[in-house]
Amino acid sequence: GMDPAASTSKSNHCLDAAKACNLNDNCKRLRSGYISTCSRAPGGPEPCSRRKCHKALRQFFDRVPGEFTFRLLFCSCKDRACAERRRQTIVPSCSYEDKEKPNCLELRSTEIPSLSLFPSPPRSRLADFHTNCQATFQSLTSCPGDNYQACLGSYAGLIGFDMTPNYVDASTTSITISPWCSCKGSGNMEEECEKFLRDFTENPCLRNAIQAFGNGTDVNVAPKN
Amino acid sequence: SRRKRARARHKPCELRELEVSVSDLGLGYESDETVLFRYCSGTCEAAVRSYDLSLKSMRSRRRIRREKVRARPCCRPLAYDDDVSFLDAYNRYYTVNELSAKECGCV
Repeated sequence: GMDPAASTSKSNHCLDAAKACNLNDNCKRLRSGYISTCSRAPGGPEPCSRRKCHKALRQFFDRVPGEFTFRLLFCSCKDRACAERRRQTIVPSCSYEDKEKPNCLELRSTEIPSLSLFPSPPRSRLADFHTNCQATFQSLTSCPGDNYQACLGSYAGLIGFDMTPNYVDASTTSITISPWCSCKGSGNMEEECEKFLRDFTENPCLRNAIQAFGNGTDVNVAPKN
Repeated sequence: SRRKRARARHKPCELRELEVSVSDLGLGYESDETVLFRYCSGTCEAAVRSYDLSLKSMRSRRRIRREKVRARPCCRPLAYDDDVSFLDAYNRYYTVNELSAKECGCV
């Protein structure tokens, strides 16, 4: 017969987040907007257009309130199916993965114009991320000013640009985030590259912010005493 | 109660909605995602046109015989909702169009 545990495992926080989005007309419209653009013709004559996919993702994250988008991005998971759904949120096969992994510093340099007189949106977004998710030992949460929301917001702000971050796998025990790049071929800049990449992959502020959001403990970060 | 049910059955044509799982749509997709399914339901008694009355008359006078004709308006979508996308149980995304009604009318 049906194991009651099997039916409850059908529901998870990421599935609940998709439901909440589907029941809201604006969220549903913009979600299916980026999904249909980013998942166009799998195995078809033409692969997806990354440029159009990124644009549709930016529209989704710009125009849909965080109560929907954050729930989809940062839902907490107890099983692989849930974690895989979370990883799939941004349609990574089109928006994230590529045949080759570029060098992270090279990828970063494409986002920063040589003259910083005209800061482009990607540059300020990456700067925002480094400012708001900078791990610090001076706060309880490892985040600047204990502000989880600012960190999560600037993380979401990177989606749809060259430095689009994502979960690297469907692990439920550890959360690892990275942009699609590596530090191979950094030459004498290897150390700087690793430092840049660690802001994504080994960042206690970012990890705490994501976990706290998933557990619903992000609202109150007052020290317990 | 029976009275209440009878009254519900005689509601005029309008948009209703249901929260359903994608699997329950019967389109062959396997997904536990929930979508809002909007459909048209209700009676069209108030929308009987001269056309319907005349058609009935032609039929009863046997001027129209072996053809399939409908001498009553029916409650159907006038417009369909935007596309809806979902992730299935095998981690593939799908987009379905004209799944849900957006506006109903007696046509």
